[in-house]
Formats: sequence, C-alpha cells, structure tokens
Amino acid sequence: MLLAQFIVTGIATGCFLILATIGFSFTRRVEGFLNIAHAELLGVAAFATWGLNNVAKWHILPSALAAIVLTALVGLAIGRLVYDPIRKHGPAVLLITSVGVAYVIGGIIDGIIGTGIRTLNIPLATTYRVFGLRITDYQLMVIGLAAATAICLAFYLNKTRSGLAIRAMAANPALAASRGIDVKATSRAAWLLSAGLAGLAGVMLAVIATLSTDIAFLQILQILAVAILAGLGSLYAVIISGLIVGIAMDVSVFWIPAGYRPLIAFLLVIVVLVFRPEGLAGRKTA
Amino acid sequence: MNIWHFFLSVALYGSLFSVLTLALNFQYARGGMINFGTVAYFAAGAYAYAIITQEPPSGLDQYMFGFGAPWWLGVAGAGAAAFAFAVVTGGPTLRLRGEYLALTTFAFAEVFHSLLLNERRIGNGSVGLPNVSRPDFGSLAAYDTLIYTGAAFLLMVATILLFRRILRSPYGRALDAVRDDEVAAKAIGKDAARLRFQVFVLSAIPMGIAGALYAMVTTLVAPNLFTAEVTFFVWIALVLGGERTILGAVLGTVALVAFQELVRAVPFESVRSAQIAASIEEVVTGLLFIIVLRWQPWEKLARKRTAKCQTTISSSTKSPSASLL
Amino acid sequence: MSDNYLVLDKVTKRFAALKAVGGDDGLSFSIRKGSFLGLVGPNGAGKSTTFNLISGVLKPTSGRILLEGVELTQTATASISGLGLGRTFQTPRVFGSLSVLENVLVGADNVGEGLRAALSGRWRKADAALAARAMELLERVGLAERAGHRVSDLSGGELRMLEVARQLIREPRVFLLDEPTAGVDPMLQKKLGSLLVELHKAGTTLIVVEHNLHFLFEIADTVVVLQSGQLLAEGTPDEIRSNKKVIAAYLGAEHAA
Repeated sequence: MLLAQFIVTGIATGCFLILATIGFSFTRRVEGFLNIAHAELLGVAAFATWGLNNVAKWHILPSALAAIVLTALVGLAIGRLVYDPIRKHGPAVLLITSVGVAYVIGGIIDGIIGTGIRTLNIPLATTYRVFGLRITDYQLMVIGLAAATAICLAFYLNKTRSGLAIRAMAANPALAASRGIDVKATSRAAWLLSAGLAGLAGVMLAVIATLSTDIAFLQILQILAVAILAGLGSLYAVIISGLIVGIAMDVSVFWIPAGYRPLIAFLLVIVVLVFRPEGLAGRKTA
Repeated sequence: MNIWHFFLSVALYGSLFSVLTLALNFQYARGGMINFGTVAYFAAGAYAYAIITQEPPSGLDQYMFGFGAPWWLGVAGAGAAAFAFAVVTGGPTLRLRGEYLALTTFAFAEVFHSLLLNERRIGNGSVGLPNVSRPDFGSLAAYDTLIYTGAAFLLMVATILLFRRILRSPYGRALDAVRDDEVAAKAIGKDAARLRFQVFVLSAIPMGIAGALYAMVTTLVAPNLFTAEVTFFVWIALVLGGERTILGAVLGTVALVAFQELVRAVPFESVRSAQIAASIEEVVTGLLFIIVLRWQPWEKLARKRTAKCQTTISSSTKSPSASLL
Repeated sequence: MSDNYLVLDKVTKRFAALKAVGGDDGLSFSIRKGSFLGLVGPNGAGKSTTFNLISGVLKPTSGRILLEGVELTQTATASISGLGLGRTFQTPRVFGSLSVLENVLVGADNVGEGLRAALSGRWRKADAALAARAMELLERVGLAERAGHRVSDLSGGELRMLEVARQLIREPRVFLLDEPTAGVDPMLQKKLGSLLVELHKAGTTLIVVEHNLHFLFEIADTVVVLQSGQLLAEGTPDEIRSNKKVIAAYLGAEHAA
C-alpha cells in the first residue's frame, strides 16, 4: 500500500541524510562548531563527479573516487587555513565564518558550472519489486553505503589508533596533546574524514538526484534537522535521527502537499530545540 | 545606467537594508543574540503591507485576504506584524544560547518562507502579490523614486535615533552588563530574559516597516525575494562594518549595496558573463566576510583609539594591559 | 538584634552521589541580624556550596533557608538580589565593555532601566544623583581616580574592590563575600578589612568565606567552622582559635594534604 511505499523511500532518503549528516556531526563533535559550509562540500563532490563523468567522459566509479578525494582535500585546506586559526574565538564565530565559506564555495561552483540542471552519465535506475513495494538499485546502494559507512566509522573510531586519537582530542585537546598525541596530524585526519564523508554523500546526491547549483544549500536545512534531532555531536544517534527525518519527510506527503516536505525538517528543528535541545542522545552540555 | 541612477539606487537600498543591519546590530552586538532569521521579519512586514492595502480577492485571484486600506495603515500593520512574529518566535526560544538560537531563528524563517511559498491563500504562493498599492503622490508622481529614497533615509535615521536613545540610557548599560556577564548581571538584579525579549521584539518593528517600504518600491511581494540570502546579506553587511558600532552597520550596508549595484551596472554581453560576474561577487563577498571576521580590523582600530585616549587623559597610569577584550 | 535573621534549617545538598553539605541531620545554624559571620573550614568542607546555597545560586536538595522568615529556597535566583542579598564572586566578575564608573552605576536598581523611561529620557536627573553616589563609593574603595578607565586596566585586587562597590550601591542588607582577599595585596587587604568593619558598624549583616584566617578573625564577630559539609564549631573568633576540634581538623587537613 502507498504508506508502506513511502516508508521504503523514506528509508532511502533517511540513509542519504545519514551519509550527509554524519560528517557534519563529526565536525561538530571534534572541532566543536556547526559547519554550514559542509553542505557546499556535497556540492563540490557532486559536481566534480559530474564533471569527470559527463564532461571528461570517465567511468562513474573513478569519477566518484576522484571526487571524494578532491572533496576531502578541499575540506582539509579550508579547515587548516580558515577554521583552525580562529578556533579560539569560539563556536559562534566559527559558525558565522562558515557562512562566509559557504558563500565562497557556492560562488565558485556557480561560476564554473553556471545554471541549468545536470545529470550523470549513468544507466537509468532499475526498479525491483519486493512484496509489492518498489525500490531502485540506486536506493539500495544508498542504504548499503550508509550501513557500511556507519560500521566502518564505528570500527575506525573504536579500534584504530588514529580514530582513538581523534576521540581523545575531541574530548580534551590539552590532555590529548600532553599524552603524546600528534595534534596536527590528528586534526588533519579529522578534517579529511568529515570532508570525505561529505564527498561520499555528494556522490550519492549526484547519483540519485538531478543537480542544480543551489542543491547544496537545500541540503543544509535537512542536515541541520537530522543533526539537531540526534543531539549535536553525537554520531550513533545520527543513524536513528536520519531515518526518522527521512521517513517523516516522505511519509508526510501522504497527508500534506509535497511542497511542505522540507517544512517537516524545520518544524522538527524548532520543536527539538525548544523542548529538548540535547536531542535524542540526551547529554545536556553547556 | 547613469551615475545619478546608481547613487539613487545605492541611497535607497542602502538606507533600507541599513535598517535591517541596525536591528541586527542591536540584537547581536548589544543584546548578544544571534538571529539567523532576519529576513522573516522583513518579509512579515512586506506581506502585511501588501495584504492590508490590496483589493479584496476577485476572479482568478488565489489569495484570501485584501482590505484595501490606505498606505499608512499598511505601514503600521507591517510594523505590528513583524512585532507579533518576533513575540511568537522569540518567546520560547530566547533562552537558548548562541548557535542554538541561530538555528531556531533560521528554522522559523524557513518555516515562514515555506508557508508563503505553499499556502496560496496567504499570498498567491510562488507567484506573489503583484501591483502592491502605493501611496498617491499626485503631482509629484514623477519623482516617486526620490520620495521613496527620502523615506528610506528617514526611516534609517529614525531607527538610529531610537536605538541610540535606548543604548545611551541606563537600559543600555544594563543590556551591556547582561551581554558581558549574565551571571554577574543577575547578581545585581538584572532580568536578563526580559531585557533580551524586549530588545528582540522592539528591533523587529523597524524591520517590518522597512519591509513595507520595500514592497512599495518593488510593487511585488513574492517568496523568492525573501530568502535566507537576505539574512546572510545583512549579516555580511554587519560584519564588514564592524559589528559593534551603529556607523559601522550603516557603512557596511552601503558598501555592500554599492558593490552589488556596481556589478549589476556593468553591461554584460552574454548571460554567461553576467553569471560569472555574479559568482565572483559571491566569492569576493564571502572572502571579505571571512577576512574581516578573522582579522577584525575594526576592533584593532577601536583599541588603538581608546589606548591613545587613555594615555592622553591620565598622566600617572600603570602600564596599559595587553588587550581590551 | 533579632536572632534567627538568616536561618539554615536542616539543609543538605547532593551532587549526584556526593553529599556536599549536610550530614544525617542536615546543616543548621542561624545568623543574627547585623552580625559579621566568617565561614571557614579546610578544603572540601563545603564552604563554597553553603555560600552558593545562601546566595541562591544553588537550591538545596532538602531543608530550607530563610531570610527574616522568607523562604529563599522558593525564590527565583534572579529575584534573590531583590530581597537585599548581595554577593561577590571568587574570581571578580566585572563588565568588560563598561567603564569603572559605569560598572558601579549599573549595580543600582535604576528607574532608567525600564524601556519606557529609556525612551522618554526621564532618567537623567536620577542618573546624575546616582553618579554622585557611585563616585562616593569609588572613593571609599580607593578607585575614584580610575572612574573613567576600562576595567582591563585594573589589577585583581582593584577588580575585587570594584565588585564590592557595585554591590554597595545596592545597599544590601546581607552582603556575602566569597574569598575576598584572594589575590589581593596586603595594603588593599587592610582597606578591604576596614571597609567591612565600617559596613558591620553601619548594621549590614556580613557573611564572608575565607581561607585567610588571620584577616578574618580580626574583624568577624562570629565564626562558623565546617568540615565535610557539617557544622564543626560555632563561636567568637577567640573561642574558635582555642577550640581543640577545630585545630585538629585543620592540622588533620594539613597532614592529609
């Protein structure tokens, strides 16, 4: 039935949101601020993929990988050049600065790409029917990637040395430094990781959506909703939160006009911030 | 486009948007509140004006309300609408700190935008309300742009006088105290919550009136005129001019408006080159924003000036301390 | 002189599993009106917590605190100051964007702080009178010369005096000071001490948390000693000085440290 179908697409939407938001929450957790420009990194990846795939005529897979690497490097550069020097001014200033960064990246993308919509040079989606519900192979890919990313990230943060170093630094930078953790290298790894995750999400965005230059900005609103519902800075809750927001948005079409879909996300933001600012993860921080 | 038009444009839009920047300056630099939903109060004023002054719906019109009232009622209504919106959005949220408040105000503005876009009964959805009623200037009609520019300028001056008057009083002192150290301010009996609420809703009124004026000038109110871009424009103007001072807010706005008008004035041969120019404008604006935030030239200038004053006033001082803030 | 002016009645305060104040029966003692009470005890005795409980920053887990019969525990933190209770902080908290004089001015409950008054401009006369009072207070604390300076020009001790002046313009009935001599040079300490004695003579009830017993015992008339959140001893400075339990507590703390 229709509702179940919406739930299925909602899961796919939710998984995409998880991919898009996990890097954002990561930056919040490790660097301590909300990076509005994170969404623009999705745009960088999406259009880089398009450029390599559609213009340079590469196959989709190397295009995607190159795009992710590029995005990771861009994120690293911005992190070191722009954000690190002003960290001492506090999260509010960093937040405001990230708006400027978003402008710069957005402007560059606008300039290079121009207007109009773009699509990737990939085969059309194949739809499968499972129990009478329709799902495309690309949607399955998003779901699979989200799951894989969550598992890999969990493994990385819990079992590898650099992952643990990042967690230590996020919790207490001074202590971490005194314990011999190479702060510079760890910070570099953190920027690469969050930007790389944005890159992955951007590639998926290019695959499942039609690209226009303002698409990145539209994402930030939904990313914010997911991140806030999860509780700023928590990573595991992003999984649940992403699914909730994705399903809520898609299922809402059942009752209200489709134009209001993004509205659900914002209302969620307001409700959560007013009644339970710590989100699902639930630790009241200062 | 000739020089005269250019200056008039800059004067008109510079004054108009300065009102928004001034309100933001009041809220952020003095009240300590980060408002990322500025455009919504502007839009509330514009739409209120349009709805109050337009003819009741007929025929193919999709909107539901129109009162055909005179323009000054529309302006008053605009201020009231922005005030009301501020009360509703400020009430439950002002106790939130910094980034959280930024997010809620942002979310509220987007909710409002979404409503305007989708709910045709309010304002015709994405089409908007055309033919916004303007005051009848009679024989002076040919000079209407000049009149609007004058009105915008007057509004800006009035806003400046209003905020300055408030800030120079003990109220302004208490406000600064609350912003500097809320705990200490509470220990001397300052009601931080009430002060912040008052600042927030009071500063919304000029924003609404500016919206009404904007509607009169453009004769069209549509959702695509009131996007988050406006909010960020005002924020960039605020930062460029140095967040602290009133003069800075005005100068920053005028400079930004002039820059944009300049880019728009260049006759581009192709659509593509116009696009590229717009992109460069975005990039340059963003870069300036980042640079000013990082190096805070206005703070340094202010510090140098106060340090100079210190050494001239007092003859027997200890060595001046390292930094002011 | 009324007994039971400020009363702590079986007050306890828990932070998670830790009971910072109050033993089995809770902490109970009362302060006479117009007395100068010193609150002392070794580190971790619960002095700061008790201080914060009285000044309303913390609410007790159980028990009541009454000022002239009014339950402070029921009053909102922001309104406590309105009841005539003034406090200073362990690290002086001053307003960086205001000048020294303005820091004192803002302390007063100013009619000009209402929005209507601000708009109508009807505050100027009252403010001028207030400025005169503020200058007097700055004289008293020795900061009159610095009236127009930025607070960043002041030393730690001077900031402390500024905080005191800012509370004094409110004419508090009960004045709480949290380790006022910390970071203050001996000359300024003397000035602070004589200022407190003046206030005491004028009838203000003073409650001072201090580590500097030498300073405190010269000027306080009553001393309450806390240990592990409970009342160890209560009496005049002389009585406390010779109290064996107190000496043991302090020596014990020294040995343990």
